[in-house]
Amino acid sequence: MNAAQDHVDAAPPPGGPAGGSADGTAGSAPAARSGPGLRHFASRYAVLGVWALLIVVYTIAKPGVFMTRSSFESIFNGQYALVFMTMALLCTIIVGEFVDLSVPSVFGFAATILPVLVVNHHWGVWPAAVVAVLGALACGVVNGLLVVVARVNTIVVTLGIGTLLTGIALWMSNLNTIVLPPSGFAKIAILPVGGLYISFFYGAAVALAFAYVLGFTPLGRHMRFVGASREVSRLSGVRVNRIRFGSFVAASAFSGVGAVVTVAAIGSYNATTSDSYLLPVFASVFLGTAVIQPGRFNPIGTWIGIYFLTTGITGLEQLGLQTWVSNVFYGGVLVVAVTIATLLRRRTT
Amino acid sequence: MVASVTIVGSDGTDVTQHRLEVAQLSKTFGSARVLRRVQLSVAPGELHGLVGQNGCGKSTLVKILTGVYTPDPGGSIAVDGRRLRMPVQPAEQREVGVSVVHQHLGLVDDRTVWENVRLGRYQARGPFRRIDRRAEQEAVAEVLARLGRRIDTNELAGTLSAEDRATIAIARAMQDHRPGGGLIIFDESTRALGRQARGRFFELVRSLIANGASVLLISHRLEEIVEATDRVTVLRDGEVVEAGLDTRDVDEAALTRLMLGRHLVTHGRVDSHARDDLAASVRSLSVGQVTGLDLDIRHGEIVGLTGLMGSGFEEVAEAVGGARRADAGELTVGGHRILLSGRRASTEEFVRARVGYVPERRLDEGLAAEMSVAENLTLPRVRSRGHRFRTGRAWQAEETAAMIAKLDIKPPDPSAPAGTLSGGNQQKVVLAKWLAGQPELLMLREPAQAVDVGARHDIIDAIRAAARAGCGVLIASIDAADLAVLCDRVLVFRGGMVTEELAGDLGQDDIIHATFGIGPALREAAPEDQVSQQKRGVG
Repeated sequence: MNAAQDHVDAAPPPGGPAGGSADGTAGSAPAARSGPGLRHFASRYAVLGVWALLIVVYTIAKPGVFMTRSSFESIFNGQYALVFMTMALLCTIIVGEFVDLSVPSVFGFAATILPVLVVNHHWGVWPAAVVAVLGALACGVVNGLLVVVARVNTIVVTLGIGTLLTGIALWMSNLNTIVLPPSGFAKIAILPVGGLYISFFYGAAVALAFAYVLGFTPLGRHMRFVGASREVSRLSGVRVNRIRFGSFVAASAFSGVGAVVTVAAIGSYNATTSDSYLLPVFASVFLGTAVIQPGRFNPIGTWIGIYFLTTGITGLEQLGLQTWVSNVFYGGVLVVAVTIATLLRRRTT
Repeated sequence: MVASVTIVGSDGTDVTQHRLEVAQLSKTFGSARVLRRVQLSVAPGELHGLVGQNGCGKSTLVKILTGVYTPDPGGSIAVDGRRLRMPVQPAEQREVGVSVVHQHLGLVDDRTVWENVRLGRYQARGPFRRIDRRAEQEAVAEVLARLGRRIDTNELAGTLSAEDRATIAIARAMQDHRPGGGLIIFDESTRALGRQARGRFFELVRSLIANGASVLLISHRLEEIVEATDRVTVLRDGEVVEAGLDTRDVDEAALTRLMLGRHLVTHGRVDSHARDDLAASVRSLSVGQVTGLDLDIRHGEIVGLTGLMGSGFEEVAEAVGGARRADAGELTVGGHRILLSGRRASTEEFVRARVGYVPERRLDEGLAAEMSVAENLTLPRVRSRGHRFRTGRAWQAEETAAMIAKLDIKPPDPSAPAGTLSGGNQQKVVLAKWLAGQPELLMLREPAQAVDVGARHDIIDAIRAAARAGCGVLIASIDAADLAVLCDRVLVFRGGMVTEELAGDLGQDDIIHATFGIGPALREAAPEDQVSQQKRGVG
């Protein structure tokens, strides 16, 4: 930072040779921007470039297999759960809560409530969906109370609540996959629109709306500032705790709605799968900091990150690699991409 | 005027035996060249000053000297005739005896004196590689003895007085120096010290020098440079404009001119803009040791609050600005009544009543470093001026452009992250953040601290302009010079009470004397006078 501090003001040389005569102003002009401009562009769109490269490599490596409609559909149709969960994680990360580990568990909790109520307790699917979302919201309220009001460490609270919720979900479902009876309910998720499921567009809409809120509304500005410095925000009249609490509740709402869409799409849920979302959710959110706004958590970057990662894994699996490859890929890409973005950002600021 | 300086050839061969000889040192970051062929020489036993505006390259130079940055090829650094490898290696730096005391002294408050001094040098002994506590403590006691100070090595650093803390930082810096050698660089280290502690600090520095050590003192306080140092080097925009100027031949105004490269109109007092009607009033404020304080601020009036550290004026400032909850009290501003003892999650109520608060620690409380200048500047008003679903760009651009022009914020780039600005420009942004909202009451804490003369000039102008526009201004500061130039009256606190109210044609000395509680008869022996006489005597 000091490097930057120093060179910001030090643009032009003094007017004449050393000697200290009155030589006009000691002002500075903005430094030439051509070099940094290019780097800035590179740091914003490097991941998109790598994504394109991946597609080209896979297409050449597996002609007729990768570049097909079915690959395309499997990449873009299957990620609704991840989109909702990453947006949930972003809510709290943006306001400076590192890190909400309960996101997949809240999602799994809601996704278990719905089929359990319908199948075991013979509820209608819609009331059950409402209760599932309310259940998720309640989890957010508890997280918020513990972290914001009682000031318990975020990681401790969310790890504990997350584990607790997964346990309850396993108990409710009796460790079984609970399958919904066929109904029109599935339509809310898998209605085809322009060749893709409608759930893809839900995800896109949610990411766009979130990006709008962050970029263009007073609420979003306040969220960013709370994340950057609570004290600065408080002393500028921002109700810091309300925003932090609200973020936990909003996060749980994203998880709850995502759970309903997911159950509608696949028609069932198995609570044991919740934990498997943790790494992809974190990988996508962190990868998002390497896209569009380098060094910043941002919804569009995250959304792109999800499909980038899925493309990579789909291609690798088609090349015959086993499921272990997803761990290697998620972990490896995450570290490499974020490192590159960080380095580029450091050189441009 | 220029003292005799040996200019060393670009091959770096040494001609004279300087303690420190920097020659042809340049540093480029990307497209910006922040140091150009800098030369600097410090003689053995010399107290050498280094001054320049924020962003002139001083800290870059220190970072090259300490091995944080690698300079551009071609430059050289030699200590006692030994040319150092680039980048400077910590081991070699220690070997030749160059050490730095940083701005905040770099002490860990909840560790003991000996742990702080020996940090990075602990000797592990025995089969279990334990730290030999006794040996470490003895080593520290020995260094402190060399400094002629007695401090319990088992005390926690955080519990010590400011001057003892400075002593520890110095002890840490000089422990590896061989007697009669070494160079200590003080990088704005006196900032953390009060006036009295600063006097003792310089006594200590003088005793180091008397023993043959050299000191490079980097400071914003020009009076300190003029009084304490033997020679001074002035940097401007990365270039040396005066090398090794004898400080007997220079005064603060001349140094200022050299730093700025233009004649600065020095601030004199101006007529008060105070009107008769009240801008704000504080009633029955109790906070910390202050009880039942009443205070009226008229429109256009600038009122100073000062005192020694811990006299209570800081708490009053925090309570009035909304940063701290008072035990009791009420603030009335433009028809808004604010209960100062109220429990509140933010200063929203204050912002609505158009009370602006410029905190003391700008990077912790005033600015979010990663957010842009424009975002920081408009933060208090994004809700009131923006629409719920849209912040609106036009008013933000307008406000930011107006403030950048008014305060001469550099670089004039609204999208630059606030953290990349120099200290003085950051301070301007914090002030601009509130000025842009046309405040009824401005509560400023140390508004011109640690900023260069140019920034101070702009800040003083902006505060006066706000007063002229009718804003009531409260300034809590320990800087008598700022208060004397700006204030219509100054309230001096001592032990939680206002012990003196100074008004009329204020002089810096009047404020200092009132702060230290020295009557007119004793003024000849005021602490800062003693200190300056001592410094002069030795220099």
